[in-house]
Amino acid sequence: MSGRMQALVVVVVMLAVAAASKMFLHSGDPHVEVAAEALFYIAPGFPFTNSLLTMLVVDVVLIGLAFFATRNIQQVPRGLQNIMEMVLEALYNLFRNISPKFIDRAFPLVATIFLYVLISNWSGLVPGATSIGGCVPKEQASAKIAMVQEGANAGSIQYMAAAEYDNPYTSCAPGYALIPFGRPPSTDLNFTFALGIISFLFFQFWGFKTLGIGYLSKFFNLQGIMSFVGIIEFISEIMKPIALALRLFGNVFAGEVLIAIIIFLVPLVVPMPIYGFEIFIGFIQAIVFALLTMAFLSIATTSHDHDDEHHGEAKGHAH
Amino acid sequence: MEALGFNLFLFLAQLINFVVVVGLLTYLLYKPVTKMLNDRTQRIEQSLKDAEQVKLQLANAKRDYDAEIAKARQEAAKIVAQAQDRAKTQEAEIITQARREADKVRDEARVSAVQERDALMREAKGKIAELVTMTASQVLAAELKARGHDKLIAESLAALDRRN
Repeated sequence: MSGRMQALVVVVVMLAVAAASKMFLHSGDPHVEVAAEALFYIAPGFPFTNSLLTMLVVDVVLIGLAFFATRNIQQVPRGLQNIMEMVLEALYNLFRNISPKFIDRAFPLVATIFLYVLISNWSGLVPGATSIGGCVPKEQASAKIAMVQEGANAGSIQYMAAAEYDNPYTSCAPGYALIPFGRPPSTDLNFTFALGIISFLFFQFWGFKTLGIGYLSKFFNLQGIMSFVGIIEFISEIMKPIALALRLFGNVFAGEVLIAIIIFLVPLVVPMPIYGFEIFIGFIQAIVFALLTMAFLSIATTSHDHDDEHHGEAKGHAH
Repeated sequence: MEALGFNLFLFLAQLINFVVVVGLLTYLLYKPVTKMLNDRTQRIEQSLKDAEQVKLQLANAKRDYDAEIAKARQEAAKIVAQAQDRAKTQEAEIITQARREADKVRDEARVSAVQERDALMREAKGKIAELVTMTASQVLAAELKARGHDKLIAESLAALDRRN
């Protein structure tokens, strides 16, 4: 059998498996929930959510990796130490290109942002991580996007209160809703905003420390058109942590939704390339967050006078 | 914001957790790995410097060795030349000495030969004289009867002296 024929057979078999899975496997409605779901309450108003649980798992994974990579550190690296050294060296060189002056101060933060966000993004792709859960009374469950099972709108997908929603494919008793134990922290706005705020405070601190009170002249000055530019700069500065947080949340959450919907439509074969794509997106978002933090730090620690000097030099060269 | 799940407690929990993770990773991972990478860089740089030093030393040693070898060859050649000169001198001395000794031996031999010949001659003369005397005495004994004994002896000695 020629190679082309073999490929054709594989494609046909995969399509057959996909079609069969659509007919015989029932994955239930796509579980789409914007807010992280409470597993229990630590204190009134302080829920222990599934994203908080996954956050602790990510903590353990990261700290475990760090511990095992360095517990018997050798001059000639092997195994995990070798991998971690390779990753950290690549990150160090990448971030150093953006701000060589601040790399030693910023590296622990930006490297942690990258590693934490990466593992957090990929945590949702582990089989079972977002599908195995527990049953909670519906009054504790949040509203969600789901398929209407009965009535005039049956079959349509709507945003419904938990009490209105009933998933016929879960093992929960009537009156109870399934809440997954796992949820990537990056799909929780609390996490992405926390990260955005940390990043924001970091580059503001070094901006002030490096430029002193002159740092404020970027935003507040009375030199004609520059006063207007300062206002725009100020607004864009305030928007930085929000943009960082929403970009990460939006991309990873959209990926989770996409996978949930694809699995709902065709449970087998078709989700595979989407999983591959989400692995890539998870990596890209992690590196983007870390690189933007480094870039914002570099911008914050560079004065406008410095820019003017460069413009002056450029003009001088042009003449 | 509440519909999006924003909760101040959760926000603070995530914030504090992340700061703690940064601290732990700095202590457990970044510091040891950075230190190790710096140590390794220094070690490699030191090794390269040492290798350069060793290379330099090797080049110096090679140069010294070549110089020593050249010097040794020169000295050896000089020694051989000196030895050859000395040998030639000694050869000439030995030959001269040998010639001298040979001359001496020859002279001595010659003197000795002359002396021996003289002695032999003297001895021969004595013997001959004795023989002559004896022969003469016997002849004369026979002839004396005809001629005088003493006259015959004198004539024989005179004839012998002329021959010498």
